[in-house]
Amino acid sequence: MKNITRRTIITFFLAAILLAGTGFFVGKLFLDGSSWVSLSANTHIYSNGVLKSGTLLDRDGKVLAASNGGNWTFAEDSTTRKALLHTVGVPQGTISTGAITKFAGKLAGYNFIMGAKHLGSSGNDLYLTVDADVCDTAYKALGSHKGAVGVYNYETGEIICMVSTPTYDPANPPSISEGDPNYEGVYVNRFLSSKFIPGSTFKLVTLYAALEEIPDIQSRTFHCDGSVQIGDQVITCTGIHGDLTLEQALNVSCNCAFGQIAEMVGGKKLLKYAEAAGLTGSYSVNGIDTKPSSFNFDSKDQGDIAWAGVGQGKDLVNPCAMMVYMGAIANGGKTAVPQIISKVTLPGGLKTSIYLHKKTEPLITEESAAIIARYMKSNVVNNYGESRFPGLDIYGKTGTAQVDSAEASNSWFAGFIRNENAPYAFVVYAEGGGSGVSTAAKIANTVLQAAVQNAPAE
Amino acid sequence: MDKLFDFFNWILPRLSWAAEGLGQFFGNLLRSIPYALSWLFANHVTIAELYCLLVRWIMPVLALMILTSILRSMIRVKNPKERWGYLYSPDLGRFPVTHWETLIGKGRNCDIVVPFMTISKVHCALIFDGTKKWRIHNLTERADVSVNGVTIDGSAPIESGDNLTIGGVDMEFDTISPKEASIQAQRRLFLSQSTITPLVTTCLLTVFQMLTVSSLIINRPEHSGAIATSFLIFSGVMWGYILFNFFWSKTGLEPEILAFFLCSLCLAVTASSRPESIHKQLVAILIGMAFFLALSWYLRSLKRVVKLRHAVAVLTCVLLCASLIFGTLTNGAHNWIYVMGISIQPSELAKVCFIFAGAASLERLFKKRNLWGFIGLSFFCFGALALMSDFGTAAIFFVTFLVIAYLRSGDFATLSLICCSAIAALVLVLKFKPYIAARFSIWGHAWDDVSGAGYQQVRTMSAAASGGMIGVGSGEGWLHKIAAANTDLVFGMICEEWGLIIGLLAILGIASLSIFTFRVVRSSRSSYYVIASCAAVSMLVFQTMLNVFGSLDMFPLTGVTFPFVSCGGSSMLASWGLLAFVKAADTRQGASFAVKKVRFKNKKRKPYRADREPQPVDDFFEEVLEGSDADYPPLGKDAAEPEPGTGFNDMDDFLRDLDFLFDDKGGKR
Repeated sequence: MKNITRRTIITFFLAAILLAGTGFFVGKLFLDGSSWVSLSANTHIYSNGVLKSGTLLDRDGKVLAASNGGNWTFAEDSTTRKALLHTVGVPQGTISTGAITKFAGKLAGYNFIMGAKHLGSSGNDLYLTVDADVCDTAYKALGSHKGAVGVYNYETGEIICMVSTPTYDPANPPSISEGDPNYEGVYVNRFLSSKFIPGSTFKLVTLYAALEEIPDIQSRTFHCDGSVQIGDQVITCTGIHGDLTLEQALNVSCNCAFGQIAEMVGGKKLLKYAEAAGLTGSYSVNGIDTKPSSFNFDSKDQGDIAWAGVGQGKDLVNPCAMMVYMGAIANGGKTAVPQIISKVTLPGGLKTSIYLHKKTEPLITEESAAIIARYMKSNVVNNYGESRFPGLDIYGKTGTAQVDSAEASNSWFAGFIRNENAPYAFVVYAEGGGSGVSTAAKIANTVLQAAVQNAPAE
Repeated sequence: MDKLFDFFNWILPRLSWAAEGLGQFFGNLLRSIPYALSWLFANHVTIAELYCLLVRWIMPVLALMILTSILRSMIRVKNPKERWGYLYSPDLGRFPVTHWETLIGKGRNCDIVVPFMTISKVHCALIFDGTKKWRIHNLTERADVSVNGVTIDGSAPIESGDNLTIGGVDMEFDTISPKEASIQAQRRLFLSQSTITPLVTTCLLTVFQMLTVSSLIINRPEHSGAIATSFLIFSGVMWGYILFNFFWSKTGLEPEILAFFLCSLCLAVTASSRPESIHKQLVAILIGMAFFLALSWYLRSLKRVVKLRHAVAVLTCVLLCASLIFGTLTNGAHNWIYVMGISIQPSELAKVCFIFAGAASLERLFKKRNLWGFIGLSFFCFGALALMSDFGTAAIFFVTFLVIAYLRSGDFATLSLICCSAIAALVLVLKFKPYIAARFSIWGHAWDDVSGAGYQQVRTMSAAASGGMIGVGSGEGWLHKIAAANTDLVFGMICEEWGLIIGLLAILGIASLSIFTFRVVRSSRSSYYVIASCAAVSMLVFQTMLNVFGSLDMFPLTGVTFPFVSCGGSSMLASWGLLAFVKAADTRQGASFAVKKVRFKNKKRKPYRADREPQPVDDFFEEVLEGSDADYPPLGKDAAEPEPGTGFNDMDDFLRDLDFLFDDKGGKR
């Protein structure tokens, strides 16, 4: 009997597993409850698949979208409607990362204690961090280019501007036939959910790897004859640059120099620093997961590695992740995780949930960040010209990505500005924009001027 | 120093983060009160709306009170060991016999440890049949056992007053006197009474039921009559049972009240999801209770239980074969039989039979081959269930099999081997029958296929989250429109309509049964009851696990029921049947009608030693009333337990170190 009664402890273990699992469920419910509630079959907050209640506003309280019993109205200005289509989303849920779809639970007034059902059913006011005016400016500046513009505060994480094109007016939706080239990827937010060939902007990652792995890299010189043979491939350059220091190589964005640096660092190390820079991971922007970037650094051919190191070949980078890396350079290591929700309040203005500023892991060492920032400044001073960016203390790197299928190259500009009230990192991507300096840098200037002007004074 | 610096670097931002959060939280909390008041004044709210809101808040509080009182009673329960007799040795002292099955030997794991060189580790077993006959079994080949000087061959009857010689040690066996028996009964009754009277808990439960009915009637007006009568009848039967027991001075009603609470939830779920069939569900509950009473009564006598074991083993096979042959394919499993318009799931009944047949008394445990019979039965069950493609039930049988096999043999090595081979078999099955693997492939990825394979799970999660802490109100949910909502997904339905708190309490209720059993079996009479009750509770707990975690995509969704709460007749019957095993293990004095009072004959015998005569009754009772927590006061002095020796195996040695958990005395020996 003694042995048998002792062995009954096994039932105790089973019960402990049951309770532990239940605890795990409660934890998950606490963290993910709001997104579970957002399931469109949930008739507590949807009727016929359309969210019943809630109001979306920008950071200044401008109404972007509002529902009254399932009838949605959008911002008054059609430019704002188009500019913020991907941020706001549509009630039908076709834009899966849109706030109406992703934050349905919060809009409908879900909270952990009261659930989704309340006495009053007017829904909550959800304030986004975006500034509608800055987004308008960005949308206009992008013009006919397909692309994305993102600006965020690298100290607080607030996304000031998030625009993706092509877009349409949700108040008067056009009929979009499948395969229409004008509306290619119109339901995808290019800033959060796409990845593109980064062009020379990726040299900032190669540079980071070189600074960490090759101690005397800053004192070395490189030679450019317009092209260089690495492995089985010829790396071509935009010009014949002659002898260059590292800084000069970045200034003129010399492919020959960076191809050689990539070869010296090696594919494995390059991948390691792309990972360290946070490019291969996914950021959760208030629960919207960004698309991880992808690289192919394990090729046997050193030529492939060299092309990957200059941002061509099979590299694909997510614009949002690139912007966060810029924030990390600006901040000297850690930076804020981007956020899109500013606050959620009851209609009377009482806050119902808490959003705290989160920091990333260190994406770059402090020393390398300082050197890279210095070089980025020197890019602006020596190459692009400070006059292009009047009044901005700007640090940047352009990119011109060649796509085999397209005639014109895609234009990139990524960087940050130093400004007490407007510590912003940014990324601009314009398809078919040609060289980075001519198109993307121009768009960036227009958007940043607006962003700085609209920045809230301390 | 660097490490310290790093630590501060790590902790400080997190601390400030937490402080920021807390500050915001309390700021908001303060502001919310005037906001709520001003909102109430500004908006028009009807009385019905306010009433429903109030009920939503009150129900979880009531449920919490009910569960706490049951739990407190279960945890505080004291179940001192019963004494059935003594072995007296002139040199070693007096050894109390505290079970119907007592192992005697030198080893530390014996019930009676006789620390003497010539005695084997496990020498012999003293077994009582529950009526009047005692037998002594020789368990060792190296030494003799003799009764009144006659060496026994295998086993022999032994009576009060007989002389027993084991390994050269002379002892006298005596059953306790009627006088001591009556003192013991009074003392045990005093110690084991529930800390609360069941009436208070039942009153709370009745209020809970009334509130449920009232809000269900508001939301299901077309069925208000059926709902009201069903709850009324159920409540009436509950009160009848409680009052009958109360006036019959039976006090340990915790398991039943818990079952009543869960059955109330079951009725509420039925009223919300299928109000037209609530009468059917009520009848199922009543039949379940009748089955519970009948089985409990049958379990009173170990003799007749042991006799019926083989027949029940055959019945288990017959039941499973019946569903294999006559079963109709429903939801991918062959486990329903339709007889005269009633659907039965024989595999549910087979669960009760499996435990009935699988538990064993100590007498059977001596023989190794008996375990093989059980293993044969188990594998027959797994095979039949696998053929039915009822993998949930197969898993339940497997876990129960493991529990029973472990309790019977204590052999971890063999069981690990069985587990490994089961896993290997599973891998093979999944490899050669890919369609079975496909059924479980959605596990963990339900949100990737919201309208396909993850359909039920994501809806359960969404509905459960929508309920919040307090639920959206009885009958106001939508999950009940989904297939199997009131059976496989019932946890989601409870969370949606009655809130997370009540959902968690339902789980806690089942889990608490295991704590209860774990404590109460310390003084069970026969290993049959210990094994049966533990197996039954493990089955209930594991079934709950499969049901709850399956519906929430933490396990593969296998379609098993939540005990007592899921709608359906067969599962209700099985749940009550399993509870009968728990009841039969509860030997608290006057706690359970499933435990028989054994009367002692007043037999004349010569005193062996002067000091073994009982103390005067009055003195003894004084001590009882002073509330002394010590075990039985010395009626003569018991022999002290010796220092630890070697155990049967490592696991049992480990468990012995945990003994302090089991004793009411807190380790004092």
